[in-house]
Amino acid sequence: MSAAADAPKSGFAMPRARAVKLTRWAIIAGAALFLEIYGRFFADPAFMQPVSAVLKALIHPILSDPRILQALGLTIFEIGAAYGLSIVFGSLIGVAIGSANLPRKSLYPVILLLYAIPQVSLMPLVVLIFGLGPAAKIFFGFSHGIFPIIVNTVSGMRNSNELFLRAAGSMGASRAQIIRHVLFPNMVPSFFVGLRLAMTLTLLGVILAELYVSTGGIGYFTRLYAESYNPAPLFALTGVLAAIALAFNGLVRIAERRLTPGLRAAPAVKTPKGNNPEGTAL
Amino acid sequence: MTDVSQSPSAAAAPAITIRGVTQRFGDAGSSQSVLALDNVSLEVARGEFVCLLGPSGCGKSTLLNIVGGLIRPSQGEVTVSGRRVDGAPRPDEIAFVFQESTLFPWYTVIENFRIALKFQRVPKAEWDDRAMAALRAVGMAGFSGHYPNQLSVGMRQRVNMARGICVKTGILLMDEPFAALDEQTRMVLGEDLSILLAETGKTIVFVTHSLAEAVFLSDRIVVMTARPGSIKTIIDVGEPHPRSPDFMLEPRFGELRNELYALLRDEIRKTMASQRDPAAARGGA
Repeated sequence: MSAAADAPKSGFAMPRARAVKLTRWAIIAGAALFLEIYGRFFADPAFMQPVSAVLKALIHPILSDPRILQALGLTIFEIGAAYGLSIVFGSLIGVAIGSANLPRKSLYPVILLLYAIPQVSLMPLVVLIFGLGPAAKIFFGFSHGIFPIIVNTVSGMRNSNELFLRAAGSMGASRAQIIRHVLFPNMVPSFFVGLRLAMTLTLLGVILAELYVSTGGIGYFTRLYAESYNPAPLFALTGVLAAIALAFNGLVRIAERRLTPGLRAAPAVKTPKGNNPEGTAL
Repeated sequence: MTDVSQSPSAAAAPAITIRGVTQRFGDAGSSQSVLALDNVSLEVARGEFVCLLGPSGCGKSTLLNIVGGLIRPSQGEVTVSGRRVDGAPRPDEIAFVFQESTLFPWYTVIENFRIALKFQRVPKAEWDDRAMAALRAVGMAGFSGHYPNQLSVGMRQRVNMARGICVKTGILLMDEPFAALDEQTRMVLGEDLSILLAETGKTIVFVTHSLAEAVFLSDRIVVMTARPGSIKTIIDVGEPHPRSPDFMLEPRFGELRNELYALLRDEIRKTMASQRDPAAARGGA
């Protein structure tokens, strides 16, 4: 309610940052309150439990059971490994395909076709090949994550402005210099779009595999809680997975901010004394 | 870097010689084939400012790209400072300023200068002094740490022009550098350019659509015909650089402008007619 009081009078003015934050927290608090009341008084506890019960389940058993913590640690390791492999191979393949016409014209359509395959249908095969351990999960995360990185690396290299290439050429840049100073920097924003998409898909791949192979790890516990009609720890576990995803995304964002030139904090526009930059006398 | 102007024989020789240049895009005889330039010959003296003026599509930019070594001509040859240009850029002799700013958006203004000087193999110790001198010359020294997209279009093109001037080439090829700017900014940048040129003594070939710009800046104006482009006539302006804006108020300025317009009008009509009926135009040619 205080958020509304903070909002500026004019309907068209930009809301203040504080008003935005307050409104957001008010909505979250309102939703939590609603779920708490609904879960406590109206819902079937076999399917839904109030927020307080979920928070309690988060502390116990989720964050206090060493088996669950171990399973979460394993999941984080699998996501990290799958993501790392996706980045290494995705960018290598992407650069290889994007840097010459022959592979781009011959191989790229095949990659796009593979990208379109709903990989879930191959899950049983992956488990047959890689077994029930982390290898299958890492592979599945990797096979999901690699495609957006390839696709965005290739498109980033393709979108090199012809004008920049011509300018660099006219200034006498060597082939290596053009790659280093024109093609790569031009590719970076698109590459990071790929990295963020890949993060989401890697996570999806690993979790899907976890759920399918439910003899251990997170999948075992989600099945355990679901089948024993105990939704509170299930929600809490889902929340932890979401937090892991957010943490990985945060890392990507930090890397992006550091590595994307032109997005870095820029100096304020200031006019030095005795200098009239925008124009001489008109 | 050879300073050719030191030797008396080279000083007398033209900076750029274009001999019988013909440019055809696509295979001769095919229906897609376009004859862009037809037997163009021109000499540009050292330190001269020459404008290429003509209807759009007449091959002005193509000619500029051929001189700069970005395109290899179908026939004929271009020599720059006595050496033949054969479809390979000559960064030690020739700098380009393109219509749009070619400042790399991922580098700051000063980094853009450094990278240009690096590409041109200028010793590292000179980079910043040269860059700042060029930026001061166009009144942009306070913006060396900015990224191009933090500058207005006019400021960006000002920096772009400064980058073309700061490199150590004797020849500057400018392809409609002010086309994207509003008229007031163009005039101001034109004045700046006239002053800078008088100071640096560079040879400039400048492509433009603007009659006023051509008269204000040029020593000679090369008027080209509609496609296939050839030289219709060459007009001498004969006014020393640097030129003050007062030149635009002189009767001679208006007369030259009108003369250019009369010359171009026919060519523009021809272009429009051929666009309306391409088959007839080809048959007639």
